Amino acid sequence: MQEQFNEVFTKYHEVITWSVYGTAIILMLIGLYAILIKKNLVKIVIGLTILDAGVHLLFVGIGYIQNGTAPIFSPGNEDAADRMVDPVPQALVLTAIIIGFAITAVALSLVIRLYKHHNTAKIDQIKSLKW
Amino acid sequence: MVITPIHYIFVPLIAAFAIPLLSKINKELPRIIPGFVMFYNIIISIVLMQQVNEFGYVSEVIAGWKAPFGINLIITPFSGFLVSMISVLGFLIWMYGYRFKQVIDRGELRTYNILQMMMITGAIGIIITGDIFNLFVFLEIVAITAISLTSFYRERDGAEAGFKYLLIGGFASTLILLAILILYTQVGTLNMAEIAERMHTVPSGIKATILILFIVGFGIEAELFPLNGWVPDAYSQAPGPTSAAFAGIVAKAGVYGLIRIIFTLFDIEGAYDFLITAGLITMIIAEAAALKQTNLKRMLAYSSIGQMGLALVAFGIGTKEAVFAAMFLLFNHAIIKSLLFMTGSILMYNSKDKTINSLNGIYKKLPYISILFALGAFAIVGLPPFSGFWSKLYILTAAADKNMIFLIVTILAVSIVEIVYYFRVIGKLYFSEEESEIEIYKPTPQALLAMSILGITILVVGIYPDLVSGYFHSAADILLDKASYIRFVLNAESAIQ
Repeated sequence: MQEQFNEVFTKYHEVITWSVYGTAIILMLIGLYAILIKKNLVKIVIGLTILDAGVHLLFVGIGYIQNGTAPIFSPGNEDAADRMVDPVPQALVLTAIIIGFAITAVALSLVIRLYKHHNTAKIDQIKSLKW
Repeated sequence: MVITPIHYIFVPLIAAFAIPLLSKINKELPRIIPGFVMFYNIIISIVLMQQVNEFGYVSEVIAGWKAPFGINLIITPFSGFLVSMISVLGFLIWMYGYRFKQVIDRGELRTYNILQMMMITGAIGIIITGDIFNLFVFLEIVAITAISLTSFYRERDGAEAGFKYLLIGGFASTLILLAILILYTQVGTLNMAEIAERMHTVPSGIKATILILFIVGFGIEAELFPLNGWVPDAYSQAPGPTSAAFAGIVAKAGVYGLIRIIFTLFDIEGAYDFLITAGLITMIIAEAAALKQTNLKRMLAYSSIGQMGLALVAFGIGTKEAVFAAMFLLFNHAIIKSLLFMTGSILMYNSKDKTINSLNGIYKKLPYISILFALGAFAIVGLPPFSGFWSKLYILTAAADKNMIFLIVTILAVSIVEIVYYFRVIGKLYFSEEESEIEIYKPTPQALLAMSILGITILVVGIYPDLVSGYFHSAADILLDKASYIRFVLNAESAIQ
């Protein structure tokens, strides 16, 4: 089973790599679309998280190498230095996920307050601040 | 105990976690602790600045991982100057906000004090870190705390201003993340000195892409046009001390991020021209918008954007003289604009319907505050003998050295606009009929002391500019000497023992 999987995976490696990148870029575009076009506050916040998810996926994608192992030296895994996946992007993406979570939490609390204050969740009806 | 740069970060963090617990013991503690933290920051600054004067740089490696592998904190004369300034300002802003009426009325002392302290810590972190991803983390700390403080008043339009800031800020943080990602694939490191060293191997197209992503990301904190839509809203909706902190501290950190990235990481010729152009557009549009404001804090916010634009122009000229002048301007803007926001928010609080037009003749009731406001206004438009005069003069001479006539003309024309709208407020304060039936809320003694210190600083620096200018000269030399920065970070064995 495992060998079969590896065989298929090696064969289509290019395709898989590019589909990861492609998915990431499509996610980013969807997020951007939601932020720019949607009028509902909650949908805008969702767009922000989708945009974030796209970047995170790209981060994980560039750290990946084929047949890689965890960057840990252990018995039977002495050649880890040659074929380990890059741990740095993974560490970064963890941090970025937490930051994105915090931003989303703040955003949603602001949406609640805006809704209570203006009694609407449509962004084009909230315009008390203008220059 | 040996004082090292990490104290800037962990002392406020511990205090922030301790405040909710300690507030159970005594209700005054959440208010007092940030003061101690800010005072300790000043002590750290004094100790570190002595070391900087002696050795040129101070660096600290965290958790024993040497520079290219671990996160390092580094204090150069330039960042040391900004950090010391922020520490002192942070303390003064704490003093000003110690018994800030609006905060006390709402009984949210804990929230306010923790957020304010963490915002200042984040700004310090942006300046002292030597790791690009760490920079991003601190930028997010600043953004989240600033958003929360913007929406602090529930009954005003704070939530709307906060949401605007959040949308722009959240988008910017994604762009910075993307820039860091592309940069990492190209150079394989996150340490800023090592990135700068390997930068010449990156193809120029990719280099430009990364630079644009970074400029858009940091331009938002640095109030660069057209990314500054959040500024006037956030400044006018936030509590008074927070507006002062935005102008004096957060904007400085944003400019620092931009400058560090353009001067140290990238060395593209066009980037300097870009700084000049973007700065000029920012300045012109902001000052024009300031003219038609009716809310005093919004007007000050636009003026703040304009000054940041001027600072970017000065950095963009790129000669030693110009960088020196830009640092002088950053220093001046920090003290003057903080003073203006402090006095301005008291004036606004006492005006009838929170507009400039209702400030009629308020000087009779608040003589001291009015004098301080006028002092700040004179200083920021650049009248001699106040400190703002010197920075503007040095910028103009630096531009004249490079024969940039258009720049000189624009800066002078914009100064006239500045004079018009600041003097309109002063005219209202002093030369209009007094409104009789308003009830005056007097500022607390602590607030008066904080404002007086700022006012005296403006006067003293204005009369003896040499007190600070010698130091700015050496800081400017170091900022432009990228090679020594790289050499120091990568060869530093460990922190100063």
